[in-house]
Amino acid sequence: MKNKTVIADIERTLYDIKNEDHPVYRTEKGLTPEIVREISKKKNDPEWMTEFRLHSLDVYNSLSLPTWGPDLSELHMDDITTYVKPDARMAGRWEDVPTDIKDTFDRLGIPEAEKTSLAGVGAQYDSEVVYHSVQSALTKQGVIYTDMETALREHEDIVREYFMKLVPPKDHKFVALHGAVWSGGSFVYVPEGVHVNIPLQSYFRLNAPGAGQFEHTLIIVEPHASLHFIEGCSAPKYNVTNLHAGCVELYVKEGARLRYSTIENWSRNMMNLNTKRAYVEKDGIIEWVSGSFGSHVSMLYPASILAGEGARCEFTGVTFAGHGQHLDTGATVVHAAPHTAATINTRTISKDGGEAIYRSAVKVAEGADHAKCSVNCESLMLDSESRSDTIPTMDIQGDEVDIGHEAKIGRISDEAIFYLMTRGISEDEARAMIVRGFVEPVAKALPLEYAVEMNNLINIELEGAMG
Amino acid sequence: MTEAKGKEAIYSEIPERTWNWLGVNTATVPEEILSSIAPEKIITVPDGESAAMTIVYRDEPNAKIRAELGEGATLDLVKVQLAGDDVTRADRVAVNCAKDATIRYTAVELGAKKTATKLNIELIGDKSKADVAALFFGTKDQVIDMNYVIRHRGKNTDATMMVDGTLDDHAEKIFRGTLDFVRGTEGSVGREKEQVILLSHDVRNRSVPLMLSGEADVDGHHAVSIGKMDESKLFYLMSRGLDEAEAKKLVTMAAAAPVLARIKNEKVTEEIENIIEGRLS
Repeated sequence: MKNKTVIADIERTLYDIKNEDHPVYRTEKGLTPEIVREISKKKNDPEWMTEFRLHSLDVYNSLSLPTWGPDLSELHMDDITTYVKPDARMAGRWEDVPTDIKDTFDRLGIPEAEKTSLAGVGAQYDSEVVYHSVQSALTKQGVIYTDMETALREHEDIVREYFMKLVPPKDHKFVALHGAVWSGGSFVYVPEGVHVNIPLQSYFRLNAPGAGQFEHTLIIVEPHASLHFIEGCSAPKYNVTNLHAGCVELYVKEGARLRYSTIENWSRNMMNLNTKRAYVEKDGIIEWVSGSFGSHVSMLYPASILAGEGARCEFTGVTFAGHGQHLDTGATVVHAAPHTAATINTRTISKDGGEAIYRSAVKVAEGADHAKCSVNCESLMLDSESRSDTIPTMDIQGDEVDIGHEAKIGRISDEAIFYLMTRGISEDEARAMIVRGFVEPVAKALPLEYAVEMNNLINIELEGAMG
Repeated sequence: MTEAKGKEAIYSEIPERTWNWLGVNTATVPEEILSSIAPEKIITVPDGESAAMTIVYRDEPNAKIRAELGEGATLDLVKVQLAGDDVTRADRVAVNCAKDATIRYTAVELGAKKTATKLNIELIGDKSKADVAALFFGTKDQVIDMNYVIRHRGKNTDATMMVDGTLDDHAEKIFRGTLDFVRGTEGSVGREKEQVILLSHDVRNRSVPLMLSGEADVDGHHAVSIGKMDESKLFYLMSRGLDEAEAKKLVTMAAAAPVLARIKNEKVTEEIENIIEGRLS
């Protein structure tokens, strides 16, 4: 009798669990067409954009998470609606920003007025004034520099022609998600032959509140024009949500030149799953300067499609992974036309258990004769709690190519430290000097104020790590 | 050899996966090849002893070799693959090295229509050493797929991986070479170098030189160079009266010479030289 009763109890329990759990799971989790329509309606999207978002949602639902790279299990895709829905706290208060981030602002010497805007919780005060003066100079040249929502309203034809054509939603799950829920970002159009002499900086412009994590950047540089665009800044960007899935599409037309610089320092709770790609036509030049310092997990590999004869790419990157960080970064280059050339130059540093991974792909397609590519990646490990992996791939079709790849992994040599110490420099300063020297290729490629900020950031990172 | 097609089965994988679109994460072979792999050949070299072995594969079943090297032991292992050009092969060599042991491994991949070969060396003991050199020459529609992994597990271990090869006609080759420094391998050194000469417009070369490190006190270096034959060398030789074909032959044989010099059996070396020269004629 006893046995029978026990079995009956177990069976009932199992049955009850099934009944209780499943409906809850189905009804309240996940991203739905209704939510996407709601976002689209709120943003006054044209019909085609609403359709595009819904199509992207279908693609998103059909794709699985990557089977390679960092562990993304902390990212609860079922909770995606909470990342997408505007969070009241996002408009936020300065008091809510974590103390360590506030301290970093002070130590970097960021002016008081900039701090709240950089933290993503306030308006832009002085920056706005700067922005307006920049804006009038650009207008005279015929340059369009605005946010993506305005671009979609005022330059719909251009946006429709280029939007997510270079990075289609089917590329991977996070790009599909981006296509469904994108919001905010920058739009730059540089007419033929126009040279924009001052670097444009994305944080000089107001974005829609709470649009930080799915922003879309679209830049078109027409033939023989040039531009330097700086995205983000070296101060920490604080965000209460933990997923950033932005998308950057850059079109570099014949003989044009674009430099795209990013010094990214997301707060340490962020999953930074960003996609950046440039399409470079005949004799065009794309230059990437990419610094990755922040976030909990990053997957970032700016890609250059060298589509026109003589197109060129230069990629310079630095990644610094500290405690609790897993930064998987690198670059992709596709040589799709003859006489194309690319240089990839990266430095990665890991310390205090941080993981810095360099990953790259160089592809020379059939017919891209006389393609030249040179890759150099160096990794510095500051302790053995950390990790540093190099995962490059070269796929070459054809024989008229010249491809070189070099990589090094190691630590700061005791001899170098000793030499500097014999010159009267303290051990900590000697190590910091060596690290600064190690990242010099990136620092050189940045405007002065950014290079100074990056060096300050490295000094902050190194404090307490040495000894 | 690309990702699984129909009845293909995964034969080997790289230790850290990357983008699937590159088609380098896994090597596959037809299922029936996998089931026909020969019994494992075990080579044991006791503490302090040394052994040398040259194995030439022609029509023999696929290679499956495991070598256990005791403390201070040395093994000079040469694997030469000259299978017929309608054959698909799947070879495997695994080596475990105890303290102060040295594996000197030389591989020559010339035969078979498709070959998937994997090498796994574990430098378990302190100061153990791996010295690996491989030579390949792909011609016609040959597919050569190599996956080499050297894992540093002991302190002060030393690894060298040198791969030289030539691709002609429609040949395809993938070389995945991994140096893995596990945490706690202080003082270890690893070098990897791959040089590929491309002789035809229709070849495809894929190189995946991985370097993984969980230890700061190591020195790791890898370099890959892919391209046509050095024109200045050819020009020099032709200015000395050689025609282009002869000059190309000389440059190719010079690149192969350091690998061939490791093979002590002159008959085998001569046979390899003849095959390469024949392919260049």
